Amino acid sequence: MLSAAETAQLRRQALWSRLLAYPTYALIIAMGRLRFGYTFKDLERFRAELWAKLDAHPGPVIWAANHLTMIDSFLVFWAVFPMSRAGQANRLPWSTPEYRNYYAVGSPLKAAAVRTLMYLCRCIPFLREGEDEASVRWREAAFEKCALILKEGGSVFVYPEAGRARNGWLDSRKPKDFLGRLALATPGAKFLCVYLRGEGQTFATVAPRRGEAFRMHAELVDGVLPGETTPRAVSERLFTVLAGLQERWFAGSVLSKNCAGNDVVDLGAERHRENFDLESGEADTDWLTRHLSAKELSYFSSQLKGSRFRTFWMYFAAKEAAHKAFTQAGIMTPHGAFRMIEVDLFRRKALHRPTGAQADISFTDADDDKVHCLAVLRGGSVGDADQPGDVLWRVEEVPSGENPGDFARRRLLDFIAESADDIPSAALLAISEDDGLPRVLRRGKLQDWGVSLSHSGRYAAYSFMVS
Amino acid sequence: MAFKRKETVIEATDLNTIDAAETEKRIIAGVKKYATNEANWSSADANTPFLGHIIGMGIESSNLADITMSIERQFLTKKTTRVPVGANGEFRLEDGELGKLRILDGQDALAATPGLSVKMLMDFGHMASDPAYLERVVSFAYISVVGDGHKMNEALKKAVSRAEKLTGVEKDEAAANVKTLAAQALAYEALLADPAALAEARQKSYAADKAAHEALSSELTMAVDKLAGATTSNDAGRVAALRTEEAEIKTRLKMSAAKLRVSAEVAAQAGKRSAAEEAKVAQIRTLLSETIRLSGC
Repeated sequence: MLSAAETAQLRRQALWSRLLAYPTYALIIAMGRLRFGYTFKDLERFRAELWAKLDAHPGPVIWAANHLTMIDSFLVFWAVFPMSRAGQANRLPWSTPEYRNYYAVGSPLKAAAVRTLMYLCRCIPFLREGEDEASVRWREAAFEKCALILKEGGSVFVYPEAGRARNGWLDSRKPKDFLGRLALATPGAKFLCVYLRGEGQTFATVAPRRGEAFRMHAELVDGVLPGETTPRAVSERLFTVLAGLQERWFAGSVLSKNCAGNDVVDLGAERHRENFDLESGEADTDWLTRHLSAKELSYFSSQLKGSRFRTFWMYFAAKEAAHKAFTQAGIMTPHGAFRMIEVDLFRRKALHRPTGAQADISFTDADDDKVHCLAVLRGGSVGDADQPGDVLWRVEEVPSGENPGDFARRRLLDFIAESADDIPSAALLAISEDDGLPRVLRRGKLQDWGVSLSHSGRYAAYSFMVS
Repeated sequence: MAFKRKETVIEATDLNTIDAAETEKRIIAGVKKYATNEANWSSADANTPFLGHIIGMGIESSNLADITMSIERQFLTKKTTRVPVGANGEFRLEDGELGKLRILDGQDALAATPGLSVKMLMDFGHMASDPAYLERVVSFAYISVVGDGHKMNEALKKAVSRAEKLTGVEKDEAAANVKTLAAQALAYEALLADPAALAEARQKSYAADKAAHEALSSELTMAVDKLAGATTSNDAGRVAALRTEEAEIKTRLKMSAAKLRVSAEVAAQAGKRSAAEEAKVAQIRTLLSETIRLSGC
């Protein structure tokens, strides 16, 4: 329960933010438009359609949006809220930014300015980390404040993912319970689901690039449906709605939605062994440091000598697979810059260090002769032991005398045709190499299937992704 | 027991005692064991890509570092004195005693051919610059452009060959693919004809890298701001975590700057065209035009 002082504090903040709503709104728009040059596509139509639905629902609203930058709250607010409605106090959303990201930053003067802006923007600071009593109490108080606001017919803005998506993709398979809990605590509330993204936004950043043009889709849906009794059930539905909006967004984008890669390494190839002494487990240090970051080297060195050779090539295959997935999203890595991609074999992640973009990786077809890795940046899931992913792949031996690249291309098309009921023959498909990237053509149209080809020594591997 | 390479000991040569052509010859010889396209390797010249099967030597990306290390093992340089740069143990190499050649991290980012490897050695002061030799070397930007053209040409040829064997509805669908591929090839051929348009296309990659670099700089500013805030709050654990975060972002920022330098150089190279590059471009344009003609589109 909130204390009387906490409730009074909340009401005071509501009063000040209401009184200063117009100048605060003007400041946000001026900053966004004049300093950063941001614009929105089809803004008037978007607002008109959305407000027709909002006006038909006078009750509380929980805003839920995807999260890519530190200023998404301002952008979503700007997209949804016309200035003419800034006086509608109950519609102005409250948000829950992470305390440590916004409230203790820079010099005392800067911190004070940021705090004032956050206060007027109806922010309730939230602590996502910490399991000590004070942190837990802080989180509970923030939840209670949100619930109180909603019970009084107000609006609250929460990011369902709880943090910026490092791969730039909202994953509907990983719902978080906070929003479900909030909806169950305020049964009359509806969810305003918003998917907003800049046309050139490929990964999570502090702020979108200058001059970015945003496009957005939104839905107003019920908070709790009959039969939904757990936070997880509500959150799962909410994530599905957001994932649907994400699909709509990518359908209208020039960005590829499905970005995946694969890589195979023939462990038997002599040229892959020359930098290792397989008996002692030692490797050429100079050669290793050209491929592995300090963190990766440390993990490599911690491995039993007998497994280091394979560990190295797992790193390598993961870096190559991730490189292909990143390239499909327009995230480039210079020639031979292996250390720009850092792989965490334990967490199964590959980080593109210059941009911070992160792909999921998975190893398949493992045996003594080869290593094969899949990587997915966005578009679906790479899969794990419990759930199959959205990538289909095969690793095969290249018949003697065949060009491995040609073999991989031919077999990829065969594989796609075999996997799809509506493609009777691989002859109906072709591979385009526009911009140096392989993409499949069907009926003359480029398909967003995230195809990837690889060959190494005796093996060829190919993969594609449909989600 | 420390690792010991199993190979014939190579007697390294002082780079200042041989000319560019000899250096190129030795670089090509040094990568023989990694080349999977024997025919292309045996006819390789300054402008034969190490990677790729169509016109390249067929070296796999898993042996990229071996190319650089093979060059290091073959040559000696006077650039052996380490001069520290910054506080992170990084250094640059200045003149000193004759010793082992060392190619530092990122210096080989554009060394995609034997000629570009020789240029790299010249650019970093390991051997005297030879303008006459460099005239014959195709830039990294054009190596990529020509390589992409060959890939596109092969894709169109294959699609045409597949379509020819089909009949009825299948032939119609395959023909639609051929039409798209031919249109792509035609557009690419037109792009190759205009150096300014090509440079503009490469400028887009540079602009994307620049935006990413700026985004990372903002990330550093935010970490510094958070650190300033945490310092005043006397939270030692938080300060330590933020210092680690700051150091990691600085490392990433350096990588981002290196990446930006590569794309800036590629964008700059694409705008100029030497006689050697003009010849390569003319060759691939002719190939594309011929395949487009054969496609009947």
